[in-house]
Amino acid sequence: MLVVTYSRRARETLRNACRAHEETVVRRFGRAALLRETEYGAFLACRLRERHAGDVQVERTEPFNEFADAPDAVREAAVAYETRDSPSTPYDRFAAGTDHPKSDAMRERKL
Amino acid sequence: MTGDGFGRRFAIRFPDGTAEIGPVVDLRDADAPVIPTGSQLRRAIRAGCPSRPDAPAVHAPAPGRVHAHVSRLASDTTIRTRPALAAVASDRGIETPYDDDLVDSIRSLRALPPAPVDDRELREARRQAAETGAETERLRERVATVRGRLAALRDAPSSDAEALTAAEASLSETTRRLSEVATERVAAAQRLSLLEERARTARDRRDARLRLEDRIGNLERMIREARVDAVADGFRDARHALVSQIRDADGGIDVSETSSDLVDALAVTRIAPVRAPVVVASDVAEALGGPDSAFDRLGAPLLIR
Repeated sequence: MLVVTYSRRARETLRNACRAHEETVVRRFGRAALLRETEYGAFLACRLRERHAGDVQVERTEPFNEFADAPDAVREAAVAYETRDSPSTPYDRFAAGTDHPKSDAMRERKL
Repeated sequence: MTGDGFGRRFAIRFPDGTAEIGPVVDLRDADAPVIPTGSQLRRAIRAGCPSRPDAPAVHAPAPGRVHAHVSRLASDTTIRTRPALAAVASDRGIETPYDDDLVDSIRSLRALPPAPVDDRELREARRQAAETGAETERLRERVATVRGRLAALRDAPSSDAEALTAAEASLSETTRRLSEVATERVAAAQRLSLLEERARTARDRRDARLRLEDRIGNLERMIREARVDAVADGFRDARHALVSQIRDADGGIDVSETSSDLVDALAVTRIAPVRAPVVVASDVAEALGGPDSAFDRLGAPLLIR
Protein backbone atom coordinates (compact mmCIF):
# COMPACT_ATOMS: atom_id res chain seq x y z
CA MET A 1 0.00 0.00 0.00
CA LEU A 2 1.32 3.39 -0.96
CA VAL A 3 0.66 6.20 1.50
CA VAL A 4 1.40 9.75 0.32
CA THR A 5 1.04 12.78 2.58
CA TYR A 6 0.18 16.32 1.56
CA SER A 7 0.82 18.47 4.62
CA ARG A 8 3.65 18.95 7.06
CA ARG A 9 1.65 17.51 9.93
CA ALA A 10 0.56 14.46 7.96
CA ARG A 11 4.14 13.94 6.83
CA GLU A 12 5.32 14.12 10.43
CA THR A 13 2.72 11.57 11.54
CA LEU A 14 3.74 9.24 8.73
CA ARG A 15 7.39 9.64 9.66
CA ASN A 16 6.64 8.77 13.27
CA ALA A 17 4.47 5.81 12.26
CA CYS A 18 7.26 4.50 10.02
CA ARG A 19 9.81 4.87 12.79
CA ALA A 20 7.59 3.07 15.28
CA HIS A 21 6.43 0.27 12.96
CA GLU A 22 9.43 -0.66 10.85
CA GLU A 23 8.15 -4.20 10.41
CA THR A 24 5.15 -2.87 8.49
CA VAL A 25 7.09 -0.48 6.28
CA VAL A 26 8.48 -1.86 3.04
CA ARG A 27 10.05 1.43 1.88
CA ARG A 28 10.11 5.04 2.97
CA PHE A 29 10.38 7.97 0.58
CA GLY A 30 10.30 11.30 2.40
CA ARG A 31 6.63 12.11 2.49
CA ALA A 32 5.45 8.74 1.20
CA ALA A 33 5.80 5.17 2.32
CA LEU A 34 5.06 1.75 1.02
CA LEU A 35 3.31 -0.30 3.68
CA ARG A 36 3.15 -4.04 3.82
CA GLU A 37 -0.20 -5.53 2.79
CA THR A 38 -1.09 -6.79 6.22
CA GLU A 39 -4.00 -5.94 8.45
CA TYR A 40 -1.59 -3.87 10.46
CA GLY A 41 -0.58 -1.95 7.34
CA ALA A 42 -4.25 -1.26 6.73
CA PHE A 43 -4.64 -0.27 10.39
CA LEU A 44 -1.88 2.33 10.04
CA ALA A 45 -3.33 3.59 6.76
CA CYS A 46 -6.79 3.94 8.32
CA ARG A 47 -5.37 5.81 11.28
CA LEU A 48 -3.51 8.25 9.02
CA ARG A 49 -6.62 8.78 6.95
CA GLU A 50 -8.70 9.27 10.09
CA ARG A 51 -6.34 11.88 11.46
CA HIS A 52 -5.39 13.79 8.33
CA ALA A 53 -8.29 13.10 5.97
CA GLY A 54 -7.63 14.83 2.64
CA ASP A 55 -3.93 15.22 3.35
CA VAL A 56 -3.40 11.48 3.06
CA GLN A 57 -3.67 9.46 -0.10
CA VAL A 58 -3.69 5.68 0.14
CA GLU A 59 -3.36 3.55 -2.97
CA ARG A 60 -3.06 -0.18 -3.32
CA THR A 61 -0.12 -1.07 -5.47
CA GLU A 62 0.74 -4.29 -7.18
CA PRO A 63 3.72 -5.48 -9.19
CA PHE A 64 3.61 -4.43 -12.83
CA ASN A 65 3.75 -7.35 -15.23
CA GLU A 66 4.77 -5.95 -18.58
CA PHE A 67 3.58 -9.09 -20.33
CA ALA A 68 0.09 -8.84 -18.87
CA ASP A 69 -0.34 -5.15 -18.10
CA ALA A 70 1.11 -3.49 -21.19
CA PRO A 71 0.24 -4.03 -24.86
CA ASP A 72 2.90 -5.95 -26.80
CA ALA A 73 3.60 -2.97 -29.05
CA VAL A 74 4.38 -0.77 -26.06
CA ARG A 75 6.67 -3.32 -24.41
CA GLU A 76 8.46 -4.04 -27.67
CA ALA A 77 8.89 -0.34 -28.41
CA ALA A 78 10.50 0.14 -24.99
CA VAL A 79 12.88 -2.76 -25.52
CA ALA A 80 13.80 -1.58 -29.02
CA TYR A 81 14.34 2.01 -27.86
CA GLU A 82 16.54 1.02 -24.94
CA THR A 83 18.77 -1.00 -27.28
CA ARG A 84 18.98 1.74 -29.94
CA ASP A 85 22.34 2.49 -31.54
CA SER A 86 22.51 6.21 -30.94
CA PRO A 87 21.70 7.17 -27.39
CA SER A 88 20.86 10.78 -28.27
CA THR A 89 17.93 9.97 -30.59
CA PRO A 90 14.65 11.16 -29.09
CA TYR A 91 11.95 8.51 -28.99
CA ASP A 92 9.65 10.02 -31.60
CA ARG A 93 12.42 10.30 -34.17
CA PHE A 94 13.41 6.74 -33.37
CA ALA A 95 9.79 5.57 -33.83
CA ALA A 96 9.21 7.49 -37.09
CA GLY A 97 8.84 5.15 -40.05
CA THR A 98 8.59 2.06 -37.83
CA ASP A 99 5.62 0.18 -36.36
CA HIS A 100 6.40 1.50 -32.88
CA PRO A 101 3.59 3.61 -31.41
CA LYS A 102 3.97 7.39 -31.24
CA SER A 103 4.48 8.82 -27.77
CA ASP A 104 1.44 11.10 -28.12
CA ALA A 105 -0.74 8.15 -29.02
CA MET A 106 0.50 6.24 -25.98
CA ARG A 107 -0.21 9.22 -23.76
CA GLU A 108 -3.80 9.26 -24.95
CA ARG A 109 -4.52 5.59 -24.42
CA LYS A 110 -5.33 4.23 -20.99
CA LEU A 111 -4.03 0.88 -19.98
CA MET B 1 23.60 52.66 23.97
CA THR B 2 24.34 54.23 27.34
CA GLY B 3 22.92 57.31 28.97
CA ASP B 4 19.73 57.34 26.91
CA GLY B 5 17.52 57.53 29.95
CA PHE B 6 14.68 59.27 28.24
CA GLY B 7 14.11 56.59 25.60
CA ARG B 8 14.00 53.95 28.32
CA ARG B 9 11.44 55.52 30.61
CA PHE B 10 8.67 53.49 32.09
CA ALA B 11 6.35 53.58 35.09
CA ILE B 12 5.18 50.86 37.42
CA ARG B 13 2.03 51.27 39.47
CA PHE B 14 1.41 48.99 42.44
CA PRO B 15 -2.00 47.74 43.57
CA ASP B 16 -1.94 50.14 46.54
CA GLY B 17 -1.74 53.07 44.14
CA THR B 18 1.92 53.99 44.66
CA ALA B 19 4.01 54.30 41.54
CA GLU B 20 7.65 54.40 40.56
CA ILE B 21 9.18 55.91 37.46
CA GLY B 22 12.28 54.59 35.81
CA PRO B 23 14.55 53.90 33.48
CA VAL B 24 15.69 52.20 36.67
CA VAL B 25 13.33 51.22 39.47
CA ASP B 26 14.98 49.70 42.46
CA LEU B 27 12.26 47.75 44.23
CA ARG B 28 14.53 47.07 47.16
CA ASP B 29 13.72 50.55 48.44
CA ALA B 30 10.29 51.11 46.89
CA ASP B 31 7.46 52.54 49.00
CA ALA B 32 4.91 49.86 48.15
CA PRO B 33 4.00 47.67 51.10
CA VAL B 34 4.03 44.48 49.02
CA ILE B 35 6.67 44.02 46.38
CA PRO B 36 5.43 41.85 43.52
CA THR B 37 7.31 38.65 42.77
CA GLY B 38 9.59 38.41 39.77
CA SER B 39 7.07 36.44 37.77
CA GLN B 40 4.28 38.92 38.63
CA LEU B 41 6.52 41.70 37.39
CA ARG B 42 7.33 39.89 34.17
CA ARG B 43 3.68 39.16 33.59
CA ALA B 44 2.85 42.84 34.10
CA ILE B 45 5.58 43.87 31.65
CA ARG B 46 4.31 41.42 29.06
CA ALA B 47 0.66 42.28 29.53
CA GLY B 48 0.95 46.08 29.69
CA CYS B 49 -2.26 47.97 30.48
CA PRO B 50 -5.01 47.71 31.49
CA SER B 51 -4.23 45.28 34.28
CA ARG B 52 -6.21 43.71 37.09
CA PRO B 53 -6.56 46.04 40.10
CA ASP B 54 -4.73 43.59 42.37
CA ALA B 55 -1.78 43.24 40.00
CA PRO B 56 1.02 45.71 39.30
CA ALA B 57 0.74 47.66 36.05
CA VAL B 58 3.71 48.57 33.90
CA HIS B 59 3.48 51.47 31.46
CA ALA B 60 6.24 50.82 28.96
CA PRO B 61 6.68 50.14 25.27
CA ALA B 62 5.57 46.66 24.24
CA PRO B 63 8.35 44.08 24.68
CA GLY B 64 10.19 43.26 21.48
CA ARG B 65 11.07 39.75 20.40
CA VAL B 66 14.27 39.59 22.40
CA HIS B 67 12.56 40.58 25.63
CA ALA B 68 11.28 37.06 26.31
CA HIS B 69 14.88 35.81 26.27
CA VAL B 70 16.19 38.33 28.82
CA SER B 71 13.13 39.28 30.83
CA ARG B 72 14.82 38.06 34.00
CA LEU B 73 18.50 38.41 34.73
CA ALA B 74 19.61 36.40 37.74
CA SER B 75 22.40 34.00 38.57
CA ASP B 76 20.24 31.03 37.55
CA THR B 77 19.10 32.59 34.29
CA THR B 78 19.24 30.29 31.29
CA ILE B 79 19.21 31.43 27.70
CA ARG B 80 19.28 29.80 24.28
CA THR B 81 21.81 32.10 22.72
CA ARG B 82 21.19 31.59 19.01
CA PRO B 83 17.43 32.19 19.10
CA ALA B 84 18.09 35.17 21.37
CA LEU B 85 20.63 36.64 18.93
CA ALA B 86 18.23 36.12 16.03
CA ALA B 87 15.63 38.01 18.05
CA VAL B 88 18.14 40.83 18.71
CA ALA B 89 18.76 41.21 14.99
CA SER B 90 15.04 41.10 14.31
CA ASP B 91 14.34 43.82 16.90
CA ARG B 92 17.12 45.87 15.39
CA GLY B 93 15.45 45.57 12.01
CA ILE B 94 18.46 43.89 10.42
CA GLU B 95 17.62 42.75 6.92
CA THR B 96 18.79 39.56 5.28
CA PRO B 97 18.95 38.55 1.61
CA TYR B 98 16.05 36.14 2.21
CA ASP B 99 13.46 38.53 3.62
CA ASP B 100 11.76 39.34 0.31
CA ASP B 101 11.65 35.69 -0.69
CA LEU B 102 10.03 34.84 2.61
CA VAL B 103 7.39 37.55 2.22
CA ASP B 104 6.66 36.35 -1.32
CA SER B 105 6.43 32.72 -0.25
CA ILE B 106 4.10 33.51 2.62
CA ARG B 107 1.94 35.56 0.29
CA SER B 108 1.84 32.72 -2.26
CA LEU B 109 0.88 30.28 0.46
CA ARG B 110 -1.94 32.53 1.63
CA ALA B 111 -3.18 32.86 -1.93
CA LEU B 112 -3.34 29.08 -2.19
CA PRO B 113 -5.80 27.81 0.39
CA PRO B 114 -5.86 24.03 0.66
CA ALA B 115 -8.17 22.74 -2.04
CA PRO B 116 -11.17 21.18 -0.37
CA VAL B 117 -11.29 17.42 -0.47
CA ASP B 118 -14.67 16.38 0.79
CA ASP B 119 -13.41 13.52 2.80
CA ARG B 120 -16.80 12.53 4.15
CA GLU B 121 -18.25 12.32 0.67
CA LEU B 122 -15.28 10.33 -0.54
CA ARG B 123 -15.51 7.98 2.40
CA GLU B 124 -19.22 7.46 1.78
CA ALA B 125 -18.49 6.72 -1.88
CA ARG B 126 -15.86 4.16 -0.86
CA ARG B 127 -18.31 2.52 1.51
CA GLN B 128 -21.04 2.45 -1.16
CA ALA B 129 -18.69 0.95 -3.73
CA ALA B 130 -17.54 -1.71 -1.29
CA GLU B 131 -21.06 -2.58 -0.11
CA THR B 132 -22.62 -2.79 -3.54
CA GLY B 133 -19.62 -4.84 -4.66
CA ALA B 134 -20.05 -7.32 -1.83
CA GLU B 135 -23.81 -7.46 -2.30
CA THR B 136 -23.41 -8.14 -6.02
CA GLU B 137 -21.08 -11.03 -5.29
CA ARG B 138 -23.48 -12.44 -2.71
CA LEU B 139 -26.44 -12.28 -5.10
CA ARG B 140 -24.43 -13.75 -7.93
CA GLU B 141 -23.64 -16.77 -5.79
CA ARG B 142 -27.27 -16.95 -4.70
CA VAL B 143 -28.45 -16.96 -8.34
CA ALA B 144 -26.06 -19.82 -9.08
CA THR B 145 -27.35 -21.79 -6.09
CA VAL B 146 -31.02 -21.24 -6.96
CA ARG B 147 -30.32 -22.07 -10.58
CA GLY B 148 -28.66 -25.32 -9.52
CA ARG B 149 -31.59 -26.22 -7.33
CA LEU B 150 -34.01 -25.48 -10.14
CA ALA B 151 -32.04 -27.67 -12.54
CA ALA B 152 -32.02 -30.47 -9.99
CA LEU B 153 -35.79 -30.16 -9.52
CA ARG B 154 -36.37 -30.24 -13.26
CA ASP B 155 -34.19 -33.30 -13.64
CA ALA B 156 -35.84 -35.12 -10.75
CA PRO B 157 -37.98 -38.12 -11.85
CA SER B 158 -40.92 -37.23 -9.64
CA SER B 159 -41.50 -33.60 -10.36
CA ASP B 160 -42.85 -31.53 -7.52
CA ALA B 161 -44.74 -28.80 -9.35
CA GLU B 162 -45.07 -26.62 -6.29
CA ALA B 163 -41.36 -26.70 -5.45
CA LEU B 164 -40.54 -26.04 -9.08
CA THR B 165 -42.73 -22.96 -9.19
CA ALA B 166 -41.25 -21.69 -5.94
CA ALA B 167 -37.70 -22.19 -7.22
CA GLU B 168 -38.54 -20.44 -10.49
CA ALA B 169 -40.02 -17.51 -8.60
CA SER B 170 -37.01 -17.38 -6.32
CA LEU B 171 -34.65 -17.41 -9.30
CA SER B 172 -36.48 -14.63 -11.07
CA GLU B 173 -36.60 -12.55 -7.89
CA THR B 174 -32.91 -13.07 -7.12
CA THR B 175 -31.95 -12.32 -10.73
CA ARG B 176 -33.98 -9.12 -10.61
CA ARG B 177 -32.27 -8.03 -7.41
CA LEU B 178 -28.87 -8.95 -8.80
CA SER B 179 -29.51 -6.78 -11.82
CA GLU B 180 -30.56 -3.89 -9.58
CA VAL B 181 -27.57 -4.17 -7.31
CA ALA B 182 -25.21 -4.59 -10.24
CA THR B 183 -26.51 -1.32 -11.65
CA GLU B 184 -26.00 0.34 -8.27
CA ARG B 185 -22.51 -1.09 -8.17
CA VAL B 186 -21.61 0.46 -11.51
CA ALA B 187 -23.03 3.79 -10.40
CA ALA B 188 -21.13 3.62 -7.11
CA ALA B 189 -17.89 2.75 -8.87
CA GLN B 190 -18.32 5.62 -11.29
CA ARG B 191 -19.09 8.04 -8.51
CA LEU B 192 -16.06 6.87 -6.54
CA SER B 193 -13.72 7.23 -9.47
CA LEU B 194 -15.11 10.71 -10.18
CA LEU B 195 -14.51 11.77 -6.58
CA GLU B 196 -11.06 10.20 -6.54
CA GLU B 197 -10.19 12.09 -9.70
CA ARG B 198 -11.34 15.29 -8.04
CA ALA B 199 -9.33 14.50 -4.92
CA ARG B 200 -6.27 13.90 -7.08
CA THR B 201 -6.62 17.37 -8.61
CA ALA B 202 -7.06 18.88 -5.16
CA ARG B 203 -3.90 17.12 -4.05
CA ASP B 204 -1.91 18.90 -6.75
CA ARG B 205 -2.66 22.11 -4.93
CA ARG B 206 -1.86 20.61 -1.56
CA ASP B 207 1.39 19.44 -3.06
CA ALA B 208 2.21 22.99 -4.12
CA ARG B 209 1.32 24.16 -0.61
CA LEU B 210 3.59 21.62 0.99
CA ARG B 211 6.47 22.72 -1.21
CA LEU B 212 5.81 26.34 -0.25
CA GLU B 213 5.66 25.44 3.43
CA ASP B 214 9.00 23.69 3.14
CA ARG B 215 10.43 26.67 1.30
CA ILE B 216 9.18 28.98 4.04
CA GLY B 217 10.74 26.72 6.67
CA ASN B 218 14.10 26.81 4.86
CA LEU B 219 13.99 30.56 4.38
CA GLU B 220 13.16 31.10 8.04
CA ARG B 221 16.12 28.96 8.99
CA MET B 222 18.43 30.88 6.66
CA ILE B 223 17.11 34.19 7.96
CA ARG B 224 17.72 33.05 11.51
CA GLU B 225 21.28 32.10 10.66
CA ALA B 226 21.93 35.36 8.81
CA ARG B 227 20.54 37.32 11.74
CA VAL B 228 22.70 35.48 14.24
CA ASP B 229 25.75 36.10 12.05
CA ALA B 230 24.92 39.79 11.79
CA VAL B 231 25.05 40.36 15.55
CA ALA B 232 27.54 37.66 16.58
CA ASP B 233 30.57 39.99 16.64
CA GLY B 234 28.78 42.62 18.68
CA PHE B 235 27.63 39.92 21.07
CA ARG B 236 31.16 38.62 21.56
CA ASP B 237 32.52 42.11 22.20
CA ALA B 238 29.72 42.92 24.63
CA ARG B 239 30.38 39.70 26.45
CA HIS B 240 34.09 40.44 26.82
CA ALA B 241 33.36 43.94 28.05
CA LEU B 242 30.80 42.71 30.57
CA VAL B 243 33.07 40.05 31.97
CA SER B 244 35.82 42.56 32.67
CA GLN B 245 33.35 45.09 34.06
CA ILE B 246 31.88 42.56 36.45
CA ARG B 247 35.38 41.59 37.51
CA ASP B 248 36.37 45.25 38.04
CA ALA B 249 33.19 46.07 39.94
CA ASP B 250 33.93 43.24 42.33
CA GLY B 251 30.28 43.24 43.29
CA GLY B 252 29.98 39.82 44.80
CA ILE B 253 29.49 37.71 41.69
CA ASP B 254 32.61 35.82 40.81
CA VAL B 255 32.72 35.86 37.02
CA SER B 256 34.62 32.64 36.92
CA GLU B 257 31.69 31.09 38.74
CA THR B 258 29.01 33.05 36.98
CA SER B 259 27.00 30.79 34.79
CA SER B 260 27.89 31.50 31.22
CA ASP B 261 24.15 31.69 30.56
CA LEU B 262 23.88 34.79 32.75
CA VAL B 263 26.77 36.52 31.00
CA ASP B 264 25.26 35.53 27.65
CA ALA B 265 21.93 37.00 28.71
CA LEU B 266 23.58 40.21 29.92
CA ALA B 267 25.48 40.56 26.65
CA VAL B 268 22.30 39.94 24.65
CA THR B 269 20.53 42.63 26.67
CA ARG B 270 23.40 45.03 26.07
CA ILE B 271 23.33 44.71 22.30
CA ALA B 272 19.54 44.58 22.00
CA PRO B 273 17.22 47.57 21.67
CA VAL B 274 15.30 46.73 24.84
CA ARG B 275 12.48 49.20 25.56
CA ALA B 276 10.36 47.28 28.08
CA PRO B 277 11.95 46.81 31.51
CA VAL B 278 13.82 43.64 32.42
CA VAL B 279 13.83 42.27 35.95
CA VAL B 280 17.33 42.16 37.42
CA ALA B 281 18.26 40.29 40.56
CA SER B 282 19.89 42.31 43.29
CA ASP B 283 23.23 40.49 43.16
CA VAL B 284 23.42 40.86 39.40
CA ALA B 285 22.78 44.62 39.67
CA GLU B 286 25.52 44.87 42.29
CA ALA B 287 27.90 42.85 40.16
CA LEU B 288 27.39 45.42 37.43
CA GLY B 289 28.33 48.21 39.84
CA GLY B 290 24.90 49.11 41.24
CA PRO B 291 21.62 50.18 39.63
CA ASP B 292 22.84 53.18 37.62
CA SER B 293 25.94 51.46 36.44
CA ALA B 294 23.88 48.38 35.53
CA PHE B 295 21.60 50.60 33.48
CA ASP B 296 24.60 52.10 31.70
CA ARG B 297 26.09 48.69 31.03
CA LEU B 298 22.91 47.08 29.80
CA GLY B 299 21.20 50.03 28.10
CA ALA B 300 17.82 48.66 29.09
CA PRO B 301 15.17 49.84 31.53
CA LEU B 302 15.55 47.86 34.73
CA LEU B 303 13.39 46.66 37.56
CA ILE B 304 15.76 45.61 40.31
CA ARG B 305 14.33 43.14 42.72
